[in-house]
Formats: sequence, C-alpha cells, structure tokens
Amino acid sequence: MLLDTTQSQHLQTEIAQLEARLHDMRAQLDASQYPSPPASHPDQKTAWMMPSDIYKHDNIHNKFQAGSVHSSSLHALLLLSDSALPLGSFAYSSGLESYLAHNKPLRANPITSFHHFLKLSIASIASTSLPYVLAGYREPDTLETLDNDLDASTPCIVAQRASIAQGRALIGVWERAFRMSFAGPTATDTGAEVAVTAMDDFSDLLKSCSDEDNEYDLGPKGHFAPLWGVVCRAMGLDLHQAAYIFVLNHAKAVLSAAVRASVMGPYQAQNILASQTLQDTIMKRIEREWDTEVEQAGQVVPALDLWVGRHELLYSRIFNS
Amino acid sequence: MPIRSPFESSIAKPGQGTVVLSLLPPNNPTLTTLTYKYPLKLVPRAPGFVPSTDPAALSDSCPSRPIHLYLLTYGGGLLPGDHIEVSIKLEPRTRMVVTTPQGSTKIFKTEPGSANGIKLIKGHRKQMPANQHLADMSQQSLDVRIGRQAALCYLPDPSVPFKNSRYAQVQTFTVDAAAKGNERSSLCVLDWVTQGRTSRGENWNFRFWRGRNEVWATDEKTGKSRLLLRDSVILDDETEDLDDDSDEDLDEGAGESGLNSHSGRADTPPPQAGLVPLNVIQERTRPHGVVGTLILSGPVFDSLGSYLMQQFNSQPRIGSRNWSSTAPSSAPEPSLSTKGDVTWTAARVRAGFVLVKFGAKDFETAKDWLGGLLREEGSITREFGEEALFCL
Repeated sequence: MLLDTTQSQHLQTEIAQLEARLHDMRAQLDASQYPSPPASHPDQKTAWMMPSDIYKHDNIHNKFQAGSVHSSSLHALLLLSDSALPLGSFAYSSGLESYLAHNKPLRANPITSFHHFLKLSIASIASTSLPYVLAGYREPDTLETLDNDLDASTPCIVAQRASIAQGRALIGVWERAFRMSFAGPTATDTGAEVAVTAMDDFSDLLKSCSDEDNEYDLGPKGHFAPLWGVVCRAMGLDLHQAAYIFVLNHAKAVLSAAVRASVMGPYQAQNILASQTLQDTIMKRIEREWDTEVEQAGQVVPALDLWVGRHELLYSRIFNS
Repeated sequence: MPIRSPFESSIAKPGQGTVVLSLLPPNNPTLTTLTYKYPLKLVPRAPGFVPSTDPAALSDSCPSRPIHLYLLTYGGGLLPGDHIEVSIKLEPRTRMVVTTPQGSTKIFKTEPGSANGIKLIKGHRKQMPANQHLADMSQQSLDVRIGRQAALCYLPDPSVPFKNSRYAQVQTFTVDAAAKGNERSSLCVLDWVTQGRTSRGENWNFRFWRGRNEVWATDEKTGKSRLLLRDSVILDDETEDLDDDSDEDLDEGAGESGLNSHSGRADTPPPQAGLVPLNVIQERTRPHGVVGTLILSGPVFDSLGSYLMQQFNSQPRIGSRNWSSTAPSSAPEPSLSTKGDVTWTAARVRAGFVLVKFGAKDFETAKDWLGGLLREEGSITREFGEEALFCL
C-alpha cells in the first residue's frame, strides 16, 4: 500500500513534468509560427509566463533535470539580459538627463518625477521601437528594410546615434561571441537559420557599404531594435521573451542611468526594477504593441522627442543621450 | 505632356479631391486637373506674386509662379466619419502653396458607442457603417507627388481636436529619386495639433489623434520606392480597452434606462475613467498645449533649414553658468519647460532633411514663434510670397 502511494506520487510528478515540457515546447512552436496576441484571450495568459513559472511547482523536490534548462532557452535568455553584455547601453540615459535638466522644479521630489519619466520612457520605446523588434523576429529576412524604415522614423540625431551604436555593438557581440555557439547545426528552428543568414548578410552589407551616402540611396545603418529581434530569433528565444527582455533592458538602462545621475540609490533602483508595477507596465505595453505593424509605429510621448533632441544643448552631460 | 492622370476621368467620391499642376510653355503654371467633392472644397488662386529673379535668389533657373491652393472643408473641420482624400501632383518645376484659411482644422467630437452624432447629418455626409471605430473616426489623407525641381510649401492651420473626437491623418509626399543636387524636389510641411478649445476648458480631452507624415523617394523608371522620412505621432487616451468592457457592462446593466445613459455618455467620461488618475495624453504632452513638426527638404528650403539649425545650435546651453567675474550674476536660471516659452529641437536627419519638433504653451505662442522665425529668415516670403505664411 505504501509502495503504491509513493509510486503514484512518482507517476504524478512525472506527469506534471511531462506536461510542463509539453507546454514549453508548444509555446516554442507557437512562437515559431508567429502567434496571435494573447491580449484578447485570457486563457492564453500562460504563454506570458517565463519558463521558470512553469517549472516552479515540480522542480523543487525533484532530482536534477538537465533537460529543463536545455529545452527552455534559459541560457540565451540570461546572456542577453546580462548587464555586462558589451553593448555600451550604460552610456545612454534615453533622455533622462535632459528631462532632469528641463524639469528642475520637480527635483523637490525626484523619485516621483523619475517614476513619471520611466513610465513615459517605456511607453515611448514600446510604441516606437518594439514593433521593429517584433518584425525583426517574425521576418528576419526583411532586416534591411526595417533598418531603413527605423532610421527614417528616428526624429533626432541623439536618438539615432544611441540606437546605431548599440545595434552595431550587438552585431559585434553576435559575430565574435554568440555566432559560434548558436549558429550551429543544432538549431532546430528553421527560423533561427534564416535569422543567422540575415545577420550575416546584414553585417556584410554594413562592411561593404562606404560611408559616403548617395542623396536618396542611403546605406544600412544598424539600428538596435530590428537587430535585437533577429538575434533573439537566432538564439532560440521565443517572441515573448525577445520582446520582454528588450523592454526590460531598456528599463534597466534608464534605472542605471538614474543611479549614476544621483536620482536614487542602487537599492531603490533594484526595488523599482523588481516591482510588480514595473512588470505590469512592461507587459501592458508589449500587449498593446503586439500587433502593431512597423508602419503604424509612432511616438506616443511627443515631449520625450523634445527632451532627447535637446540633450545636445546641455551644458554638461554625463551620458550620450 | 506627360501621362494623363488615371483619376482625371473618374468622378470624385465624397471628400475626394484631385489636383494636377503642370507647367505649360513657356513658363505658365496651370492646373490641368481640379476635382473635388463635398465636404471637401479646393479653391485655387494664382496670385500676381512673382518670385524675385535677382541673383540673390536661390534657384538657378527662373522659378515658376507659385499657385495657391486653399484646402477647405464645410464647417471648417471634420465630422465623425468624414474621410478627406486629397491627391496632388506637382509636375516638374512647378510650385504650390497649400494653406487652410479657416483658422484651424476642427475635429468634431465623436459620440461614443453610438451613431447619434452621425445620424443628425445623415443624408448630407456619407456614412461609413462598416467598422464602428472607423465609422466614428475622422480621417484625412493627403498624397502629394512632387516632381523634380518642383516645390511644395504646406503650412496649414493646426488641427484642433474637440473633446471626445477621434482623428487619423496620413500625409504622404513622394519625391523623384532620380533627381540630384539642385534638381531635387523641395518640400516644407508643417503638422501641428493643439490641446483643443482652451476657451471651453479642453486640455487634451480628445480620444485619439494620430498624424503620420511620410516622405518617399520613388524612381519612376525602376518603380522602386524608399522611405526617406517618417514622422508619426500618436495621441491616444487608451480608454479603448476600458471602453469595450464598459460598453458591455452598460448594455447589460442599463438596459431600461438605455436612452438616458446614451445621451449622458456623450459628454461625461466612461464610468471606468475614474480609475485612471490622469488623462494619458495630458501626461505625455505636459507641459505643452500644442506640439508640432516641421519638415524641410530640397534646394528651395536649404537656406531655411540651415538657418533653423543654426538658431537651434545657438540656443543658450541648459545649465550653463556665467563664469566671468565682471558680469553680475544673472537672474536665476529660468526653467525652460515651465517658462511658457517654446521648447524645440532641430536636427539634420538624413538625405538632407531638416526636422524641427516643437512644443509650446499655446497656439498663439507657437504661431508667433514659428511665424517669426520663418519671416526673419525670409526665404519662404521671397520664393512663395507673404501669403504662404497666411496661417502663421
């Protein structure tokens, strides 16, 4: 009898595990088939869970499962979310520095003022850049067009510089570091192969292109957002993850800039970063832009364009944007 | 003569208009096509103004006389469901000035969730029942093809969206990709939007406003198009999601008192709005009462672009101090965003485009600032006449 219960328990955990894996693989499959937005289907909310959520219940008391780490793209996810990823994102405050200079009176309550800015900044990056991340992931072979269109849609030199510098750095990291590990024959997803080819082609294009622009025939630039989508695809992340990390990394960069601009301390910054509010904000913005085509992308915070553009007018500055 | 426009023979649909401006020999700009249909009205005018041909003038060849086109809608604005569609073609070496002589483009309000507002004027304007959201949205699209050496100067009134209005505008400008240097097409486009009727206390209380401006370079021989510039601003109060729920709730709950709730809902915000602490659009445009964009490109506007860039770059540095010991310490540093001044930025983006973005306290401030700059520089007045600045 005792034996029976342990056996059935064992079976049950096994079933739970298998179900979790099935779920995860379904999610991956969905991602590769360009899923519809989860927005209107509350029962699809699970698609938004990170793999860790799915494994939470059965992983604690079980023996080590190497497969669960492999099947989820955990490793790639952690690499791309690392703040030590050499993209130089620390050099950009995405308008925060200029915002602070333009809103001196608000300094009386810097934290409230910062929360306001962070909210605007996330809304803005989601409405302007996220559609390009999603498009880059969904259709890696359109990278060149996406790059041109994003360049055309970037209204000021400051933002353009920041985006191009990080985009080119991402190409560098991909070529010198990630490509060897992720562009192997192990790739099961055909989309990943397309993404790898797209990266190679684009990189060649960048190198072969002279800096002298023809008047209307402009060369490739290497903007960050579409490249991010393509790299995530090549590294086997699913679309939700690609979008989430993109926005989260942006929030991290702004928060890190806030710490260095003495708006708040590092613990406060981590506090905000960890908060449910931030998670909800990011989710809400992604959900909103999930179906936005790149043609429909646009600035929802006009004031932010002004702050970013006027960064050049700051007398002293510690950031590049 | 070039190919005839395929639109020429067709009868315009409501709100549609087509204009073709050709240059007949020797140097005689003529509107070879001009059609429009209610509620749109296009009024052309050939002013006696002739651009100066003195050596100081910018263009090498003798520029042709600019033709004015007034873009009007009955009632001075757009009602829900109105769809204005204007297509303009400027043949090589022609020049056109487009203005809206109505003080502002009013975007009238949309009755939420019902066609009441539209029914009132049924029979006069076309109804678009297909999609609710599209049906109660006012839309305007402008498509301008600018040939080589042709120039468009489009400085319209700002759009004034009334409370609860919904509006979408797409303006596409196509230039000739094959033209190089001084042969390039020129354009100057202003697009601005205000917070609404300040006299009635409106402060970004509309539902939705989107303005998209695109410039494409098209090579007529190869048919290839390339996006040169896209400026897109979306002001959305984001109550849509809430609204879908609230509509259902209301329909279920207020079945019997449906009439009352319908008439009441026109001016009061949906019940859920109480949960949203701040108007989203106000929050995102603060502290401005008007925001706008000016796009400049091409040889005719080169000097204006350079002038604006130079003006921008010579603005006082933010947060700078006067270190000289002789000068008395100047007045306390004014906060740039609250002074009521114009906050603006200019950038030479790509393909020779100069993009100016501005935000100001109110319409008058923005108008005086921009009008002042353009008049001081003077090239628009010189090339197109004072009337080009009619709206400023």
